[in-house]
Amino acid sequence: MKKIIAATALTLSSLCNIASLAAEGDVGVAAAMDDRYCNTCHGVEGIGNIAVEAPRLAGMEAWYLKRQLENFRAGIRGTHGEDTQGIAMRSMAAKLSDESITDIVAWAGNWEYVPAEVTVEGNVNQGRTAFQTCAACHGVNAQGNEALGVPALAGQNDWYLITQLRNFRAGFRGSHREDTYGSQMVTMSKTLRDDQAVINVVSYINTLQK
Amino acid sequence: MTNAVSRREFLNLLGAYGGTSAVIQAGTALGFMPSSSRAAEISLQPSAGKKVAILGTGISALTTAWELTKAGYDCTLLEASHRPGGRMFTVRSGTVIDEIGNYQRCEWDNDPHLYFNAGAARIPSIHSSVLKYCKELEVELQVFVNESKTAWIQDDALNGGKPVRNTDYSSSMQGFISEMLTKSFGDSQLDSSLTKSESETLLGMLRSFGDLNEDMLYKGSIRAGYGSGGFLDHGTKKDVIALRDLLKTQLARNVMVTTNEGAGSGPLLMQPVGGMDRIVYAFANRLGDRIKFRCPVTEVMIREDGVEVAYEHNGVTEVLKADYCFNCIPSHLMSGIPNNFPDEYSEALNYIRRGKAYKAAFQAKERFWEKENIYGGITWVNAPTQQIWYPPHNIHGKKGVVLAAYNFGGANYTEMSQEDRIEDLLKHGEKVHANYRQMAEKPITIAWHRMNNMLGCAPRWARNRGGWSEKEEQMYETLRQPVNGRHYLIGDQSTQHSAWMESAIQSAHYALADLDQRVRSEAA
Ligand SMILES: Cc1cc2nc3c(=O)[nH]c(=O)nc-3n(C[C@H](O)[C@H](O)[C@H](O)COP(=O)(O)OP(=O)(O)OC[C@H]3O[C@@H](n4cnc5c(N)ncnc54)[C@H](O)[C@@H]3O)c2cc1C
Repeated sequence: MKKIIAATALTLSSLCNIASLAAEGDVGVAAAMDDRYCNTCHGVEGIGNIAVEAPRLAGMEAWYLKRQLENFRAGIRGTHGEDTQGIAMRSMAAKLSDESITDIVAWAGNWEYVPAEVTVEGNVNQGRTAFQTCAACHGVNAQGNEALGVPALAGQNDWYLITQLRNFRAGFRGSHREDTYGSQMVTMSKTLRDDQAVINVVSYINTLQK
Repeated sequence: MTNAVSRREFLNLLGAYGGTSAVIQAGTALGFMPSSSRAAEISLQPSAGKKVAILGTGISALTTAWELTKAGYDCTLLEASHRPGGRMFTVRSGTVIDEIGNYQRCEWDNDPHLYFNAGAARIPSIHSSVLKYCKELEVELQVFVNESKTAWIQDDALNGGKPVRNTDYSSSMQGFISEMLTKSFGDSQLDSSLTKSESETLLGMLRSFGDLNEDMLYKGSIRAGYGSGGFLDHGTKKDVIALRDLLKTQLARNVMVTTNEGAGSGPLLMQPVGGMDRIVYAFANRLGDRIKFRCPVTEVMIREDGVEVAYEHNGVTEVLKADYCFNCIPSHLMSGIPNNFPDEYSEALNYIRRGKAYKAAFQAKERFWEKENIYGGITWVNAPTQQIWYPPHNIHGKKGVVLAAYNFGGANYTEMSQEDRIEDLLKHGEKVHANYRQMAEKPITIAWHRMNNMLGCAPRWARNRGGWSEKEEQMYETLRQPVNGRHYLIGDQSTQHSAWMESAIQSAHYALADLDQRVRSEAA
């Protein structure tokens, strides 16, 4: 990973405030100020982090990353009051310039695909049946389809897929006027009868890792 | 408006809280009181050359490094951030606040008094380990003022939203509580349980606690200050605030216990002269280039004979091989760092949740609070900003740094822009001090759950209000055992009382004692 460090040295006088600062070289210097903050939440090289509920980015399609960042920046995603994790993402994305988005996508686009750990167990057979509807857009192997603008699901953190299906079903995601893809998901997610159906379909997706 | 509460009503209330008999049994508590809490004596077996990787530079890590270095171990500290100290963070002129999505650089005047302890701020007298290191490393301390009776309480529901002095509130509340308890004395149950002399002692105390009159009624108190006069002329009492009015605000919960917050954190509290990070730098300066900044750990692998830690520096991945590893990286961040911990250990690590917290501060053009007879302490406001703190140091100086918000939570601030956060603190603050907005220069804000390399305030173990479940206790024990005798999880996350520096230091002492035992038995 290349990290451009734009270090701002503090004036010496301000350092004198802190009596006898030995470790000044690094200590007294401002942080690296590019926008590559992804790993703090999303884990090393985007492997995902269940403890802060930040999904896997490693292996995510560059075009999808870009669209998500732009949607979060524009407030098309991450502005519904109940979308806690989306709000966290939005407060970072709101600050991104076009250059930053390009930089991040180029950087994160290099992370190797790492299938996420399986953490849920539902009824795979029932999930397979339900998935047929999903497969129409996301592909039979949940591999996604750039032409249709649908992301891959295979290999994503199952807890994240569950959260988003719940969010779509409740309208916490996809209700924004301009969220065209999201609004389709709001409709489609309602074909899943209940929460168990959500868990089942995700359990089936778990069997499809690339 | 009447301020009376009938004795009957009050006794019913008491009954609902379990009656009085339980509390008046003769107790053994006096015998349980430890005479003092003492810091652990650390005397490690000198171990020249053994290599130790220390991950993060929280106070637990700094303590570990300091003790091990003194005993001859070869320590390397890997820190992701540009600065040491983690949640011990002081903001002053030039400080960078690395909040994700809200980068700030503090532009306050360059003056040693103008600083803000954005994380840890208070040291209770019984936190012996913190105090021990302050003494050993010659960190100068001063008294911290947590409560000022002249500070304010502001709640839109109370007094038409106009602020009330803490003392007006608390003297009246204390008076009414005493009056009610005194009334309950007629109750035969209570009477018969106490001897005459016990009753007399209790009544005497209640009378003075509440400043009651000869009829054992609360009719106001000069503790609240004088309505008029008081020095050249006779002082007059202020009007009593009716009990029903006092009960219009929930802030009583905070106001009545400010001096006694938390376990043993009552008076006396201290702070390092010049900022909490004086403690951090007292360690860091002595450790020198053992600390490597901007080196985020990217992998932790436990091997048969040691530990391999991968980290990144300037875009290059390096590997540090060590005999032992002490790790204070917050558990919720370790969950996103590849490792080969045993399943049980990972499960426990992933279980801990992160608390949220929000603080804000500004440099005040003038020490406007001193003109209102305030010289420290806390104003409580019923708003998301919750608290205003006035600096107890540099009294009568030119400027001062005011804490303008302290919310143990504050998830709502995540989505707020810096401009909105500033407007929020000004809007609530000017209900207390009319000139607040004019006085506030260059506000800064910090949402701890958004801080880079931290993403949280205090670790949260127990999911239920009732306390720790058995499973939680088990997971805690799992994390306290070093993986393969090589990897120690330290920090307040590895204690049962998070959010204190003392706990973090004691976690280091606990781990060091374990290591020392292993080293000694190997040598034997
Ligand atoms: C708002 C607030 C108020 C508080 N008030 C008080 C108080 O008044 N009194 C008191 O005693 N305590 C208080 N505390 C608690 C106290 O600050 C903490 O308990 C203590 O500082 C925690 O120390 P720690 O050793 O657990 O490490 P932390 O401070 O949690 O440090 C963790 C370190 O790990 C580093 N790190 C993260 N990721 C990586 C990585 N990948 N690689 C390398 N390093 C990494 C971080 O940069 C950081 O340096 C407060 C805390 C907060 C946030």
